[in-house]
Amino acid sequence: MEENKMQAGFRWEKCLSYGIVGAVLLLLPLFVKNPSFIDLVILANIYAVYAASWDLLSGYSGQINFGHSLFIGGGAYTAGFLNFYLQVPPVITIFLGGLVAALLGLIIGIPCLRIRGPYLALATFAASAVPLGLASVYWEYTGGDDGLYGIAPLTLNITGKYYLSLFLLFVCGGILLAIGRSKKGLILKSIREDELGAMASGINTTRFKLITFIVSGFFAGIAGAFYTHNQLHVGTETLSLHLSILVVIMSVVGGMGTITGPIAGAFLLTIFNEMLRGIEEVRLLIYTLSVVFILLFMPKGVLPTLTQGLPRLFR
Amino acid sequence: MNIFWEILVYGAVQSSVYALLATGFSLIFGVAGVVNLSHTALYMIGAYLIYTLFSMLQFPLTLAVFFSVVIVAAIALFIQHFIIRPLIDSHYSVMIITTSLALFFQQVIITFYGPADRNVKGFYEEKVALFGVVDIDGQRLLTLGVAAVVIILLWFFINKTKFGKAILAVSQNREAALFMGIEVKRIYLLVMGISAALAAIAGAFIVPTLGARPHMWETVLPRVFAVVVLGGLGSMEGTLLAALIIGYIEVLVSFSISSYFGEIIALIIILLILSFRPSGLMGKRAEV
Repeated sequence: MEENKMQAGFRWEKCLSYGIVGAVLLLLPLFVKNPSFIDLVILANIYAVYAASWDLLSGYSGQINFGHSLFIGGGAYTAGFLNFYLQVPPVITIFLGGLVAALLGLIIGIPCLRIRGPYLALATFAASAVPLGLASVYWEYTGGDDGLYGIAPLTLNITGKYYLSLFLLFVCGGILLAIGRSKKGLILKSIREDELGAMASGINTTRFKLITFIVSGFFAGIAGAFYTHNQLHVGTETLSLHLSILVVIMSVVGGMGTITGPIAGAFLLTIFNEMLRGIEEVRLLIYTLSVVFILLFMPKGVLPTLTQGLPRLFR
Repeated sequence: MNIFWEILVYGAVQSSVYALLATGFSLIFGVAGVVNLSHTALYMIGAYLIYTLFSMLQFPLTLAVFFSVVIVAAIALFIQHFIIRPLIDSHYSVMIITTSLALFFQQVIITFYGPADRNVKGFYEEKVALFGVVDIDGQRLLTLGVAAVVIILLWFFINKTKFGKAILAVSQNREAALFMGIEVKRIYLLVMGISAALAAIAGAFIVPTLGARPHMWETVLPRVFAVVVLGGLGSMEGTLLAALIIGYIEVLVSFSISSYFGEIIALIIILLILSFRPSGLMGKRAEV
């Protein structure tokens, strides 16, 4: 009884906090007129979708993916190629980018079904390095390290761009959160905790894992394609090891297996990174060191530590 | 006939560097279950220390190599004791924190040395005419020789000494080793030190050929992964075999098609092998 009440109360608080955060994000352009800050939040919105899509696969079902840039870059380059060479309008390229990334999720998901633990991380890492190499080899078509410039923008108005990125975050984040909270999310967690046990309970773990690879890839690809149209450019940074690591770090700093945690982590680290701009020489030094400390002292992530710690503080 | 010998020699040199790096990576996994993704960052630090000590401060070569190996091993012991140990039960926490550490080391290097390449003059610069047909620079040959000696010494250390037996015991069964009076934590530190020393040696001897760059840890990491995964994490024989396979594939592809394809083909082979043998050619099964 007591526990039930606590949970109900907890949920109410959670809804309120979502509402406040959503409202702040919606009203942001009314108060902030500085376009570089709006650009930063647009970027944070895109990174939040990267991190949330990673979280569904890695945080929920426990398939730690160290090559998320495969999906992101797959979506980004699909959109870039279609728009650059065939002038396909952005709305269609973003959707197709998601589909191609979903296909990549299927292709990489099949061999990864049998691989566990560190081998899976190493295999996904190796898989993401293949397209990066291909992009340099076929530089005539991909533009090599510089990438392709002159991709069509989604809209020229910065406020419009901001709301589109917010729409992307709300839709993708919302769907991922709904999956995570549903019975499907519970099944994924059971696969993470005890795959044999899940199998013994009659769950087709193979199917669930494969579908998770596809769904995670799809949303990462959509966000990657959005990024291309946001930057008006597609380059190897979308395929890089750095991006994969960044996505993992954002999710772990925020708190894995919660969807909201990785979204918070993406915002936190993007804004923290920007705040350090004043001390340019040591910016990345402080940034990486803080990440190490957060991981060491808050292994569950910042958001779960706060949401569990704060109520205890005020009780 | 010339090209045959060239491929043979270059492949051996390439393989030896991979073997040095991958053995250390595989050793600490096999014994302590630690996937240390900052391993190649330690290799990078080794390279930069040689640049600092040998090229800038004009230390004699042996002293420079000695100090860089000792410093890198000390850094690794610090990491193992204060950063990895609290998280050692979770593979992914260790992987994530060691990648963050690698990024941190990269930033330290960029802060102190800047983003540009640093070059070191060869330790042994004369060209050697091998088998009377191949002209190979002495530096590469020296690297091959050092790597071979180090790996043979390591094999003897692990298989023939008391410490080595303790290491094997811990890798086979941690609890049983603990009951036999082996201090497992100390063994972990010892293995981490050895692993880092191997990385530092690889870095020290490769720097005259490749130069020291802040991105060198990223470029080599996929190949080390490839070798380690192909051979099977935790298996020394498997790792050596895999280093030869990957090294020769890369050199063969570079000679026949293009140096860009070397890495891609190596990685595709890894993915294929992993699909059929999920823990490499001779690997330990991962238990999570």
